[in-house]
Amino acid sequence: MSDFAPLGDPVIPDYGQVSDCVINNGVFCGDWFISQWATVFWPPLLSHIVMVAIAVSIGFVIAFFAGLLAYRKKWLAGPIGMAATFLYTLPPLALFQLLVPFTGLSLLTVEIALVCFTLVIIFQAVLVGLSGVPDDVRRAATGMGLDRNQLLVKVELPLALPSIISGVRIATVLTVSIATIAAFVVDDGLGSPIIKAVSSPFNTQFVGAGALAVLLAFALDGLLVLLGRVLTPWTKARS
Amino acid sequence: MTQHSTGTSITFDQATKTYLGAAAPALDALDLEVEAGELVCLVGPSGGGKTTALQLVNRLVDLTSGDIRIGDRSITDQSAIELRRTIGYAIQQSGLFPHYTVADNIATVPAILGWEKKRIRARTAELLELVGLSPVDTWLPRYPAQLSGGQQQRVGIARALAADPPVMLMDEPFGALDPITRVAVQDEFLAIHRAVGKTTLFVTHDIDEAIKMADRIAILKPGGKLAQFGTPAEVLSNPADDFVGEFLGAERGLKRLALTTVGEVVSDSHDRAGAEAETADARTTTAGWPDVEATMTLREALSVVSAARAEGAIVHAGDSRLGEVSLRDLIAPPAAGEDREGVRA
Repeated sequence: MSDFAPLGDPVIPDYGQVSDCVINNGVFCGDWFISQWATVFWPPLLSHIVMVAIAVSIGFVIAFFAGLLAYRKKWLAGPIGMAATFLYTLPPLALFQLLVPFTGLSLLTVEIALVCFTLVIIFQAVLVGLSGVPDDVRRAATGMGLDRNQLLVKVELPLALPSIISGVRIATVLTVSIATIAAFVVDDGLGSPIIKAVSSPFNTQFVGAGALAVLLAFALDGLLVLLGRVLTPWTKARS
Repeated sequence: MTQHSTGTSITFDQATKTYLGAAAPALDALDLEVEAGELVCLVGPSGGGKTTALQLVNRLVDLTSGDIRIGDRSITDQSAIELRRTIGYAIQQSGLFPHYTVADNIATVPAILGWEKKRIRARTAELLELVGLSPVDTWLPRYPAQLSGGQQQRVGIARALAADPPVMLMDEPFGALDPITRVAVQDEFLAIHRAVGKTTLFVTHDIDEAIKMADRIAILKPGGKLAQFGTPAEVLSNPADDFVGEFLGAERGLKRLALTTVGEVVSDSHDRAGAEAETADARTTTAGWPDVEATMTLREALSVVSAARAEGAIVHAGDSRLGEVSLRDLIAPPAAGEDREGVRA
C-alpha cells in the first residue's frame, strides 16, 4: 500500500503531471484530494462510519438499559454512574494499551474502547430524560390506570426522547473524534491517513482526512437532529 | 348516542392513612358517605389530608386501615389498575400528556380498554363538544402546548370522562387558572356535572370554590380529622367548631349571601310590601336605586348597592321589572338555610 504521501525529500517524486500546489506542498490541494479520493480518503471514511455506528449502537443499547435499571432502582444510579464515569476518564491510548494483550490489535479492541466512552453520556441522558418527566403527568397516567409498562412505553420514554437524542448526538460526535485514534491499533478509519501523513511533511493528506472527520461529525449530528424532529413533533408545536 | 352510566356512591369507612415513618396519621378514621350523583368538596388547610383522602379512592395511596367502597364493592376487591380505569381522574395543571394530541389524550383510557377506533372517535368528539371546545376538528390535532390553561383543563375533564366512569376524582383541577378563566370553567363543569350526574369528589383549598360547587362540603382539619360535613348553607350558618369558623373566615356571613339569588328574595319583599299604598310610597324612596339582575347573588347585589350608596336596588329579569329589594332584604334574607341544622362530625 503506497496510497499516501511518501517520506523525505523531494516531496513528490516524479509521478508525472502534478499541480503547482502539490509541488509547493500547499495547505490543501484540491486536485490531489480529488484524484486520491477513491484510494486515500473514501475507504477510511467508510470504515470510520462503520466503526462509529457499531460503537454508538452497542453503547446505546448498554447505556439505555443501564439507564432504565437506574431509573427503576434508584440506589443503582450512583454505582452505575460512577463506573461509567470512570471508563470515560481513562485516556483512550491507555485503554487501547490495556486491552491489546487480551483482544489484540483488532477492531474488537477499538470497539470496546469506543463503547466505553459513549456509556456515561447516553446513560446520563436516559436517566435525566426519564427523571424529568413531570410528576403531574406521571400521576395522571397512573391514576387513569396505566400499568408500569404502559407508563414507560406510552409516557415516560417518549417524553425522555429529547434528552436521549441529545445524549446520542454528543456521544456520536465524540466517537467520530476518538475513533481517529483507533489507527494506533488498526489500519482503519480516518485516523489512518492522518497518522501516516503526520510523519510526512505533505499537508493535503492529513488536512483532507481531518476535514472529513469534522464534516462527518457535523453530518451525523445533523441526521440525529432530523431524527429527533421526526420522533418528537410535539416539541415544535406552539400556539 | 352514548348513554351515561349514573353515579355510584362512595363510602369512607374509618378510612385511615399513616404514611411510612410518620408519627401521626395523615387521614384519621374518616367516615363519609358521598351519595350517588353528588358533588362533595373536600376542603381544609394543607396537612388536612384532603388529597390523601382523594388518592386513597383510586389507590394511588394505600389504606393503612378501614375501607372505602364504591357502590357495594370495596376498592380492594379488584386490582388497582382495573379500579383506576373505572374512575375519572383530573388534576391541577391538567396532567395532560404533552406528546399526545388532544384526541389521543382524551382517548387514553378507551384505547387501553380496547375500544374500537370508530367508537373512540365518536366519544372524543362528543366530549369536546360537552366541554365547549368546538368546532371539534380544529381542536383534535392540537398538542397541549398549543392550548391556554383553561382549554387544557377542559381537555383534562373530557379525558377524565372518556370511559364514562361512574365516579370522578378531581384534585384542585382549577387551582392554576386565572380568576376569570376559573369562574368560566367552574360554571361549565357545574353544567356538565348536572348533565352527566357523576358522583364527584372534588379537592380544593379555596372555600369559595367549594361553596359554589358543592352539594355538600367536608372540612378536614390538621391531623386528618373531619371537622364538619354538610351543605354549604349548613356549614356557613353553623360552623361546628372554632376551627371551621376560622377556616370559613370573617366574611362567612357574606359568603352565605352568595348562596341566595336576588330573584329568590324579591318575591318575598313583594309579599311583605303587599299594600298598594306602600308601592306609591316606595316610588319616592327608590329614587337613585341601582338596577340588579334577578340572577345575581345577594352578595353581588349588596356590592352594587354599596357602590351606589343606596338603600336598596331595583330587580330586573331581562327587560321586565320584578320589584325592589331593600338593604334589609339583602343582608338578612329569610331563606339562606338557617332553618336547617348543621351536621356535626
